[in-house]
Amino acid sequence: MRERVGYLPDIGDEVIESKILTFTRKGVTLEVEAPLLTRKQMQQVSEKVKRASAEVLKNMTIMEIITIIDTAIEVLLDRNSTYRKKAEKFLPIVTGYDEEMIRLGLTSFLKKFRKYELQRFVVEDLGNPLLLDDFQPRIKRGFSKAVGPELILHVWAGNVPALPLWSLLSGLLVKSGNIGKVSSAEPLFAGWFAQVLVEVAPVLKDCLAVVWWKGGDEEREKEFFTYPDVVVGYGSNQSLESMSRRIPVTTRFLPFGHKVSFGVISNTALDSRKALITAHHAAFDIIQFDQQGCYSPHLFYVQKGGNISPEAFAQYLALELESYQKRYPRRTLSLEEMTAAIHWRNQEEISSYTGPTKLVLGQTENHWTVVYEEGGLFSPTCSNRAVKVIPFETVDDILPNLKPYRSFLQSAGVAAAPRELFQWAEKLGNVGVTRITSIGKMTSPESGWHHDGRFNLLDLVQMIDIEHSAEEYAENFAAYID
Amino acid sequence: MKKFENKTVLVTGSSRGIGAAIARGFAAEGATVIVNYVQNQGAAEETVASCIERGGEAWAIQADVTSESDVIRMMEEIELEVGNIDVVVNNAFKPYVFNPDTRKMFSQLTWGDYQDQIDGAVKSTYYVCQQAIPLMKKQTKGSIVNMVTNLVERPLIPYHDYTTAKSALIGFSRNLAVELGAFGIRVNCIAPGLVYPTDASRQTREEIKEMIIAQTPLRRIAQPEDIVGPVLFLSSEWSQFVTGQTLYVDGGLVMS
Amino acid sequence: MEQQKIIQYLLTIVQSDSLSEDEFNQNALQLFAYQYTNNLPFRKFCQQKGKTIRTVKTWKDIPAVPINAFKEVPLTCTPPAEAERYFMTSGTTQGVKGKHYHPTLEVWNLSMKTYFKQRFMKETEKIRMGVLFPTENEMPNSSLACYLALAKQEFGTEESHYLLGENRIEIERLIQELEHAERSGEPYALLGASYSFVHLFEELRNIGRSFQLPPGSRILDTGGYKNQSKEWELDDFYHELSRVLGVPRKDCINMYGMTELSSQLYDSGNERVPSVKSGPHWLKTRIIDPLTDEDVAEGERGVIVHCDLANFNSVTTILTEDLGMKVDGGFLLLGRVQGTEAKGCSIAVEEFIKAAKGATQ
Repeated sequence: MRERVGYLPDIGDEVIESKILTFTRKGVTLEVEAPLLTRKQMQQVSEKVKRASAEVLKNMTIMEIITIIDTAIEVLLDRNSTYRKKAEKFLPIVTGYDEEMIRLGLTSFLKKFRKYELQRFVVEDLGNPLLLDDFQPRIKRGFSKAVGPELILHVWAGNVPALPLWSLLSGLLVKSGNIGKVSSAEPLFAGWFAQVLVEVAPVLKDCLAVVWWKGGDEEREKEFFTYPDVVVGYGSNQSLESMSRRIPVTTRFLPFGHKVSFGVISNTALDSRKALITAHHAAFDIIQFDQQGCYSPHLFYVQKGGNISPEAFAQYLALELESYQKRYPRRTLSLEEMTAAIHWRNQEEISSYTGPTKLVLGQTENHWTVVYEEGGLFSPTCSNRAVKVIPFETVDDILPNLKPYRSFLQSAGVAAAPRELFQWAEKLGNVGVTRITSIGKMTSPESGWHHDGRFNLLDLVQMIDIEHSAEEYAENFAAYID
Repeated sequence: MKKFENKTVLVTGSSRGIGAAIARGFAAEGATVIVNYVQNQGAAEETVASCIERGGEAWAIQADVTSESDVIRMMEEIELEVGNIDVVVNNAFKPYVFNPDTRKMFSQLTWGDYQDQIDGAVKSTYYVCQQAIPLMKKQTKGSIVNMVTNLVERPLIPYHDYTTAKSALIGFSRNLAVELGAFGIRVNCIAPGLVYPTDASRQTREEIKEMIIAQTPLRRIAQPEDIVGPVLFLSSEWSQFVTGQTLYVDGGLVMS
Repeated sequence: MEQQKIIQYLLTIVQSDSLSEDEFNQNALQLFAYQYTNNLPFRKFCQQKGKTIRTVKTWKDIPAVPINAFKEVPLTCTPPAEAERYFMTSGTTQGVKGKHYHPTLEVWNLSMKTYFKQRFMKETEKIRMGVLFPTENEMPNSSLACYLALAKQEFGTEESHYLLGENRIEIERLIQELEHAERSGEPYALLGASYSFVHLFEELRNIGRSFQLPPGSRILDTGGYKNQSKEWELDDFYHELSRVLGVPRKDCINMYGMTELSSQLYDSGNERVPSVKSGPHWLKTRIIDPLTDEDVAEGERGVIVHCDLANFNSVTTILTEDLGMKVDGGFLLLGRVQGTEAKGCSIAVEEFIKAAKGATQ
């Protein structure tokens, strides 16, 4: 099977080179044909997108844009639409994730971008959505308008399906021209979305592009990074750093580095009955996209003193993971990933013979590993359904472990009573956590969330102020002045 | 690959009778079998030999399963020798003579008689489970099969003390099944009817046997080998979604 | 079995010409029983996997211990303090280096000499050697330093020399040696770490020189050269090696060794890369699927496992982080699994550790 991906505006009769990326899963092979632009073509695309978005997008109202996006999302939510069918068929092959996991994941993800959610998204950042359309009166007097950049370049990474939507939609909402570079691990979804968008609103046909080049292609990146006003980059610190070296100082760079997330479970959630449910939710956070998300938990801090001990909780978690393996099997790992996983488990096992209380659950045939470790250090696991359970007495005990990693922390899934929740949120926030969510929802941030504590739209726009003085001063020059 | 290759199975009270047949059955499917016995070392060694002959691995451990220290010693030996345990069949019971003609009437029974049977059936299972479950938890899986009797459902002959103890064992098993489900450990019971020949049933008269046969849809009395298949089934992945159940193996005499 | 008896027996094995599958098996099982009995951490590792003296039936059943285990626990059957020597592994976990204890180096030495002769020296008894590596005195816990010292002592002529001073190639001295070889026609052997040769390339390029060593000359490189100034493709490396020294690629031998083993593996030159590697008859290599522990089919990629009988005091069977493929006459080394890049946006362990070092220092 072959699927052409990406999306290009009309740049005339150009021969576009394409790169074939091959994916195989369960004996089915999919060849993905990704557009690889020359420097000249990229320049043409950039200019076209810039111009078209200035002419078209910038003249639309925010509600018009939201309505278009909503219609496109509706198409993708419709299980009978061509694009949705394609997504359900091809994404499992490309990413390796289980079909059901993708299907459910897509729906719950896409739901966050329907009309009402998008309105919330905009209000969350700007307060008054009309700021994007026109100058709006300010309480301090004067007027302001929020203007998005002419061109945003998104460099996406990773294999979590559909993830590029977050930044692409943000770019559209601020009325910018958008060019996205898809990752080799999931090159499909962004292009489909662009295609659907143009189908439901043909006027947008030249306002965006979705392309591909090999990440780290120095020659291309050096040139391409000179066109946009803003580059939004995803990836490891190392790749972000080398990206930043290629970005001119005049271009704004919004880097989103890799993060690590974890769970904290209070003993109030660990009585004989609730512990099972808590473990069920925790396991879901682990299996959803095999811990590849920045919001996926690698550790669970579990409080002592509940009827179910942290150790028993670890064992519950193990069975939940085994059960999920039957329901949503882990994707097939590459030999490298498998080897890394086996070494990780073995090393944990061996260190358990001399270390303090430590227990390794999961055998050769299990596609998951749970390590229970008293006093375990804060560190990500090898992913792909490997998790550590670390017991604690009071939340203050775990804070010193987290502190050194402030810049890497993102989500903390919390199961705790209301008073504890706010107390812990305060403390976890102080060491760098930017998102507190419930166990079971860790991989599903709500619309309008602050990704890594930042603003989705505010970080993209520029505010234009008309100060009160100008307004007053202008009065002097009015033709109708008495 | 055989069904129980690389699997470790403990069968308590397996030097003779049904236990020995079960041990041999596991061995034929490639298991490593621990043949537990109390007194009859000779018989145990014979069972071990026939296990090995059938392609399994086996060795005998002497331990009185109603003694906690014996059970602990036995589990330590198992851990050292094979590292882990996958299946436990609680088959041992206090010697009991099944003779409808000479059975004790309720008025003749002392509480001591009941206590003996409860110790033989429930206490022994309790000790073995207490020691085996931590090993199973480490593997997030395991199967426990407890031997009861079809008399619990239909006391054809009221062996009060024996059947009461076995009834208790079913209750014990069901509770355990609920709690251990979260650890991937299954607990089930096998309830045979009269099995002949075994030491315990040797004194059963032909008349009784005929009476049972007359009421049994499958028209005969169980042999030790008849019990093996259901035990292997409940111990294997074929029954991976079955727990807390009692499986009657009596030719259809009892249907519940 | 007594340690002394094992050593004596191993010495005989190393000196013998071959081992039948049966003999290898028996020896491996005996060593397994010895190590299972005398090394508690190893025993626990085996028990966890249900592999015990009772259940291990062939050498392939012996659980392969991951190389990282050497950093976590002492893998030794005799008290570490009584070891004649220990070698330290290169990688570290949280600053802890792994140690491989040798109660005696007798077996190690004989293993090295026997197979070095067979694979590198061949018919030659002695050869003039240059060693591009620090001496044993400078690095007493490096198995490679020990290896090269032994090579020089046993198989080098009296004029053989170390050519590395304070971690820099003594280039003038080296040039003298190479020129001498060119002039005299006496075969010359240059041995060292692969990355030293990369430095050598740079030095020679700077002064614009190359050499044509006489026939019979040979090169031995070992270890990787990643993270050096430039990452060399294997093919380019041997092309350059052959070009600057004038030694045919068939005489450029790569030694594949690990601190965690007591024997080495070699290829028969690098005319084609990746070359076919193989070990002595007292070492067997498996290529396994890490998920099932089963051998993969010939021609399929898998993880390399070595069972080295000379590893009598630690563990015979080692799970490497190397990928390989079984082929006729040995296996291909396809590189190392180096902390695979995260697929998603969750941070990879390696990146985290790197960052953590910065954060906590």
